[in-house]
Amino acid sequence: MAFPDPKELAERIISGDEKVASKVISMLENGEDIAFEVISEIYPGTGGAFRIGVTGPPGAGKSTIIDRIATFYGRGGKKIGVIAIDPTSIKSKGAFFGDRLRLKNAEKIDGIFIRSMAHRGFSGGISKAALGAECVLEALGKEIIIVESVGVGQTELSISFISDIVITVLTPDFGDEIQLMKAGLLDIGDVIVMNKMDLMNAEDKVKDVEGYLKSIRREQPLPVIRTIARTGEGIERLFEVIEECRGKKKEGGREKLRSLIFALAKEELSHEIERIMERDSRIDELLQRVEKRKIDPYSMARSVVQLLLEDGKMEEERWRRRE
Amino acid sequence: MEEKRIKVLIAKPGLDGHDRGAKVIALALKEAGMEVIYSGLHKTVDQIVNMAIQEDVDVIGLSIMSGAHIPITKKLMEKLKDMGIQDKKVFVGGVIPSKDIPKLKEMGVEGVFPGGTPIEEAIAAIKASVKK
Repeated sequence: MAFPDPKELAERIISGDEKVASKVISMLENGEDIAFEVISEIYPGTGGAFRIGVTGPPGAGKSTIIDRIATFYGRGGKKIGVIAIDPTSIKSKGAFFGDRLRLKNAEKIDGIFIRSMAHRGFSGGISKAALGAECVLEALGKEIIIVESVGVGQTELSISFISDIVITVLTPDFGDEIQLMKAGLLDIGDVIVMNKMDLMNAEDKVKDVEGYLKSIRREQPLPVIRTIARTGEGIERLFEVIEECRGKKKEGGREKLRSLIFALAKEELSHEIERIMERDSRIDELLQRVEKRKIDPYSMARSVVQLLLEDGKMEEERWRRRE
Repeated sequence: MEEKRIKVLIAKPGLDGHDRGAKVIALALKEAGMEVIYSGLHKTVDQIVNMAIQEDVDVIGLSIMSGAHIPITKKLMEKLKDMGIQDKKVFVGGVIPSKDIPKLKEMGVEGVFPGGTPIEEAIAAIKASVKK
């Protein structure tokens, strides 16, 4: 594509061109400016799709549950998009996407669009490219968008910024309460699912989780939904809860949006700091001074931020292009 | 701007049920820094092409142990043409007699890796094809 025009790309996506949609998602992953210009064009038309975030530790059964949710909505004639975010192997920077394998039934749904995305270690979590991918899928005409995220660490905070409902999937073999608390997984889910209820001590684990939820949440917490995704047991109840949520008006939007913008802004800032640290000759001088104990690390860090603000690089380049 | 990765779809078309080789190469490509999607077994050419489009892969690797490589590859190359995605590079691996290699290349296949091809050779060929 030589000198593609963002408006044209946007129009092609809106007209249902999957090739272009897919390429634009790749450009978002690569951080190419034009992709963000396309998002600018399509964003005004978005907001109607129902976005379901599914998170939880590896092996919890997220893909199996997504397969069932997608099939449920697919049978109802809804157009569906799935974004499966797999971890990137930090060492080799490669990735192996195995989620598609477990979406055996979903794959057969007419018109379903399934896209695997590598986490690629974005410091802001998954927000940056995944948000754009959601917009692209919605512009393509998808009404239900399911995002599956890697279930470790603090990246889970960001899936809640780009979802209308977050389903956290746990299993009885996940470990004890302390682990759950540390992982912070229980703090962001709207619906908690205890899958693999056929495992030992499953009911005890459910009680542990319900106890923890009561102690941390201010409002009446939702009871844990018990499932065996493999066989379908308990899944009907999950569908009911999701549908209830879909029927309600989107609440708490402003706060989520604020958090999303904060995460995106931090991401931008992080890139700018990286650039300065790599290219600016003043950095090496400062590092020397810290090594010689002439200034302390806190002061140097503040100086780096000052360099950023003084240079005004962000203001001139980035903001001018946005106007 | 983030580094561009090479994205590869390892696909198992048709009735062939042996996928250990496909999985080995998939993991090797991942270790070599590529983003690899494995299609799973028994996919039709239509399903494979659909995946290739949605995942925006650079390379499609067909893994065929059943002997049906000529008709399957022919069908795939035609479908790629129909869908306007001939810029994707196609490689075929598995149980491929050497006499069939020229035929496959004539169809537009970038490279053929019969069983026993050293993995490094496959990786190098894939990397080179994407740079063209």
